[in-house]
Amino acid sequence: MKGILSTAISLTWLFALSSAGQADTAAGQAAFEANDCVSCHYTEGPAREKTIEDQLAKTGPELWYAGDKFNQDWLVPWLADPQPIRPMKFNSLTEENSGDHPALGADDATSVADYLMTLTSGAVESGTVKVKKNAKGRQIFTKKMPCSGCHQYRGRKGETLGGRSGPSLTDAGLRLNPDWILAYLKQPETFKPVKMMPVFVGLLSDKDMANVASYVGNFKPKK
Amino acid sequence: MKKVLTLAFAAGLASQTAAPPVHAAETETVFRFYCAQCHGLTGKGDGPNVTKDFPVSPRNFTDATEMSKLTDADLRNVILDGGPAVSKSPMMPPWGKTLSDEEVDGLVGYLREVCACQGG
Ligand code: HEC
Ligand code: HEC
Ligand code: HEC
Repeated sequence: MKGILSTAISLTWLFALSSAGQADTAAGQAAFEANDCVSCHYTEGPAREKTIEDQLAKTGPELWYAGDKFNQDWLVPWLADPQPIRPMKFNSLTEENSGDHPALGADDATSVADYLMTLTSGAVESGTVKVKKNAKGRQIFTKKMPCSGCHQYRGRKGETLGGRSGPSLTDAGLRLNPDWILAYLKQPETFKPVKMMPVFVGLLSDKDMANVASYVGNFKPKK
Repeated sequence: MKKVLTLAFAAGLASQTAAPPVHAAETETVFRFYCAQCHGLTGKGDGPNVTKDFPVSPRNFTDATEMSKLTDADLRNVILDGGPAVSKSPMMPPWGKTLSDEEVDGLVGYLREVCACQGG
């Protein structure tokens, strides 16, 4: 009897929690629309880009798999105080990123992040990548493959090195879900059918992709 | 009706005669999208990735002397399989899994236009 009661109580709790969650998500979606975020970001998959022109016509990155890609702990403060991620202006090779992304108030940042974290692809397996100072991953990223030619990353002393055409990965450990990094390398057609980054499927084994995801997922500012 | 037909016919003709240049424009788009990040929009080897700590200079495609040392087959190989395939730096990426054969052929022709040179 006691068992049933407590089950009933925890069930009620669960319902209360999930409907509160839903309310937040709805508020987040409303704030996303009200702030005109939709004018630069699309939020419904699958990927729409078929040609280089499609990719270049975009004014902001797609967010339809934001819940796979980002860590919520990074997303909330970023939405309230956005700092440049790409060293260059989006889709430009000549202009610097001026860091003029619209900012949200604290409440909206929280609810919009709740909403964005519900957007997933269903194509990311969780718990597959353990982040660490992965020596094999470092070898691939800095020597064997050209990753460091296009991405800023952290050297062994925490210094910023690397190229500028891709998003900076110096804070990838805070910003990105390492399981998504692996999925991004393994299934480029799902997330980014047209992008300036080469396809590495068939050039890096699944194991090496996991090593490089583990290495990249470990970049953090030095405390 | 006749006018519509003539128009359609003219459009057909225009797209037929325009076919080769359209292809060239596409190749330029491909070059600017994938290659210019390192080789620069005009192919001089000065893309935004080339900072002071970039380990090797990306080939300057306007340098006819250097470019004429490479055959079309050399160009195709390095584009498909990357620097290490021709004993060059791994900073030159392998594009074989990204670009179609047509796009690679287009790029080889494009590089020849940029260097205004033949392969030796
Ligand atoms: C004028 C176009 C524009 C508008 C409006 C806009 N964004 Fe963005 N957004 C961008 C661009 C460009 C970037 C890339 C910024 C960078 O790399 O620093 C970006 C990046 C992001 C990112 C990180 C995505 C990634 O893949 O790196 C998130 C999350 C985001 N925006 C959310 C929002 C929200 C929420 C709003 C509404 C308050 C919004 N954006 C409004 C253009 C826009
Ligand atoms: C030729 C340049 C280039 C090379 C080489 C390259 N990348 Fe990228 N990478 C990019 C660009 C550009 C993007 C952004 C694509 C987009 O959003 O359109 C990107 C995106 C990424 C992202 C997602 C980052 C984000 O915030 O969206 C990761 C992770 C990544 N690359 C890792 C790698 C790894 C690992 C390698 C080597 C195996 C590599 N890259 C090689 C250019 C490159
Ligand atoms: C991440 C930077 C990067 C990108 C992107 C890149 N390259 Fe390169 N490329 C290089 C570097 C660096 C070299 C010089 C390698 C060396 O000398 O060891 C090079 C050399 C070359 C060479 C000369 C090879 C030789 O034997 O001297 C050709 C041809 C070439 N690249 C074509 C291309 C084409 C076509 C593209 C676009 C599809 C492209 N590259 C994209 C970095 C890049």
